[in-house]
Amino acid sequence: MSDTISYLLMAWLDPGLFGLTALGVLAGIYIGAIPGLSVTMAVSILISFTFSWDINNALALMVGIYVGGVYGGSRTAILLNIPGAPSAVTTAFDGYPLAQKGEAGRAIGLSTVMSVIGGMIGVAVLAGTAPHLADLALQFAPRDYFLIAIMGLLLVSTLSGKSLARGIFSVALGAAIGLVGMDMVTAQPRLTMGSMELLGGIHYVVVMIGLFGVAEAFYQLHNMAKVPVKQKVDKIVPPLSMVLKFLPLSIRTSVIGVVVGALPGTGGDIASLFAYDHAKRTVKNPEVPFGEGAYEGLVAPETANNAAVGGAYVPMLTLGMPGDAVTAVIIGALVIHGLNPGPMLMIETPHIFWFTVGNLVLANIFLLIFGLTGIKIFSKIVEVPKAIMIPLILVLCVVGTYSLNSNMTEVYWMLGFGILGYWLKVFGFQMGPIILGVILGPLLDESYRQAMSSVGDNSMAFLGGLFANPLSLVLSSVIILVLLGNTPLKGWILARFRRD
Amino acid sequence: MFKPLLSGVAIAIGTLAMAGSAMAEYPERNIQGTIQWGAGGATDNVARSLTPHVEEVLDTTIVLTNRAGGTGVIGMNHVMRQRADGYNLLYGAENPQLYPLMGLADFTYDDMHPVNIIGQGLVVIAAHPDSPFDNFSELLEHANENPGELRMGGTGAGGLPSTIHAMINAVGELDVRTVTFGGDGPGVTALLGEHIDFMPLSLSAVAEQIRGGRLKGLAVITSEELESLPDVPPITEALPDIESFLPWGPFWGVFVHEDTPDDIKATLEAAYSEAVDSDEFREFLDNFGGAPLNLSGEEAQQYLDNWQSVTAWAMHDAEAETVKVSPEELGIPRP
Repeated sequence: MSDTISYLLMAWLDPGLFGLTALGVLAGIYIGAIPGLSVTMAVSILISFTFSWDINNALALMVGIYVGGVYGGSRTAILLNIPGAPSAVTTAFDGYPLAQKGEAGRAIGLSTVMSVIGGMIGVAVLAGTAPHLADLALQFAPRDYFLIAIMGLLLVSTLSGKSLARGIFSVALGAAIGLVGMDMVTAQPRLTMGSMELLGGIHYVVVMIGLFGVAEAFYQLHNMAKVPVKQKVDKIVPPLSMVLKFLPLSIRTSVIGVVVGALPGTGGDIASLFAYDHAKRTVKNPEVPFGEGAYEGLVAPETANNAAVGGAYVPMLTLGMPGDAVTAVIIGALVIHGLNPGPMLMIETPHIFWFTVGNLVLANIFLLIFGLTGIKIFSKIVEVPKAIMIPLILVLCVVGTYSLNSNMTEVYWMLGFGILGYWLKVFGFQMGPIILGVILGPLLDESYRQAMSSVGDNSMAFLGGLFANPLSLVLSSVIILVLLGNTPLKGWILARFRRD
Repeated sequence: MFKPLLSGVAIAIGTLAMAGSAMAEYPERNIQGTIQWGAGGATDNVARSLTPHVEEVLDTTIVLTNRAGGTGVIGMNHVMRQRADGYNLLYGAENPQLYPLMGLADFTYDDMHPVNIIGQGLVVIAAHPDSPFDNFSELLEHANENPGELRMGGTGAGGLPSTIHAMINAVGELDVRTVTFGGDGPGVTALLGEHIDFMPLSLSAVAEQIRGGRLKGLAVITSEELESLPDVPPITEALPDIESFLPWGPFWGVFVHEDTPDDIKATLEAAYSEAVDSDEFREFLDNFGGAPLNLSGEEAQQYLDNWQSVTAWAMHDAEAETVKVSPEELGIPRP
């Protein structure tokens, strides 16, 4: 017991580890805020950099960057309508309208507090239930991932805005983009038109930067004459009453975040989409409608994506299996440092587990401090003249895309998606469903084919399997209920019942 | 931001250095190392563990970049298109030796110069501890009685499980359902959850799971039992004829443009050889489930040719669907 406490407090008492965690969080916020600069990339650079360090120092810095980076994506989403990371896509839906009303300071303040609440819930779940949650995550068979992807597709109704037809078109477009590259099973080039550069597919961050960054920059040219909104920066820290009001919602969305994060096949990006959808379905009367600056629309994705951090550590620390791309890289770091990430990690080196838990708590506290300071200056970004801001955004988009894989081809693609995105915006299409398609298309393709080949390509056995297993049955039922709840069928059934 | 900035600084320093002394010794600036697989994977781990030891010998910085995608085609293609000045290295795995066979690209490692074949990975066929089979013979027997029933985890055409499957089919018969995953990681996760029955995997991916009792080994792809995995029988017990393909395993190597000047090739070969021989790297590789090879020059070329011929013909003889061209047409001799 005393051992556990001493491991937990390791990062708090050692000034070096304390400082590295703080540095990591601060660096993470800014890395996360720039579209294209990802936490995965930052952490993999750190591996070479920290090779000769003590493993605890390396882990402290990585935890800090991870926590800061996941949060940082919301900054640019709120201020510029350009999410810094895929998991902040939904943050922009209500965050940006708030900034347009001069409430950027309040929006950032609220998202900071909510991120920390989500992060803390994630750590609590990690500390309390890691082995059980890991076992639950292992229960998810390919057919369950298929059902999750289908559930994700239903989010199109939430993300489409005014026109569902346009939304469905956008999801299909996104899915087609996501399928470009080498076929996973047969290794045949798919939709690559003979280009070798396309064999690896189109990275979804490339699509995201183009559609959100460049397209938004072009679209801003329409309102060059518009005077930037003056930002209110006096009330940044949200009052306790406000935090308490959103607490029930934030707990629910944090649970969504931590579970989706713990599944090895899904991460914070999908978690935040589900959380936003959950908020929109369950909060009946927000003060402001969703999409026009509802605080609830900010709370849900921000709690979920930070809770997913704790979730992603669950399979990593208990089984040595990554929960997402970042934890995959951290596993690599452990291997290089001579540790053996696997089921024995918690038994042979328990300090790694408790050290990480303590460190995540510390990182979340630093997130609260760094997140709530400097907002005044940050909010001024909205007031910067467009003639300066737009070129700057374009430069950052190019730098961010290039740094992804040091590949110029991806920069051209990104610019191409920017132009496409601009025209789609002009004709009233939403960008969210396209990203939804890009993320879910490959998951749907992969999981469907895995599920089918598992049952010997027998469609009846496949369909039966969707209802035969308890977990699959729950997921299938949710899908059917959502479908019924959104169609005239529900009214028809209810009417029939009333008549009887 | 980081990387472009770094390389920018590197180029600036490089230019200055060149202006200062035109006759400076190689390496006079940073070297770019391209890893053809993603961050956190086996090739990435090997590359990142080895490189600091090489940096020490060469007294320079090697900037590592992951350029994954297309079974490594993209990373290799990138390095081949750079200048042949020894400042661009490729960290690769075994896959390029099969590109023409699978119709993925028209180049192989024959089109580059091997600096060092670092080591070879061991392969084990793993199953869930609750599996009714205790060794591969039992599994094979069950599969022959119930063809097309068992679920084998795979990583797609040309991946390690498909090659092992081909070798087994070249000397015997194993009719199973192949469930394809994005890599070793998702495959192991599915195996842990019993969503597949067995999967051939590199030892580095499953050693810890076996040690922790979360998975069990049915066979190792060697002709003798391994010290590190006692009680796991060699595959030759179940299939004696497979011996003709052994020793076989995935490998990792460092490559440089074919037209690189000879003195630079020699410098690199000496540096990598010293680094692979270092105690720390040996310890890492041992822990990682790999066997060191440390081959360069003629030996490395021989190893590459032999690996290609054994694997290509095994896949051809097993009539693997992925084989687009006969190895004969590509000029690959029978082993």
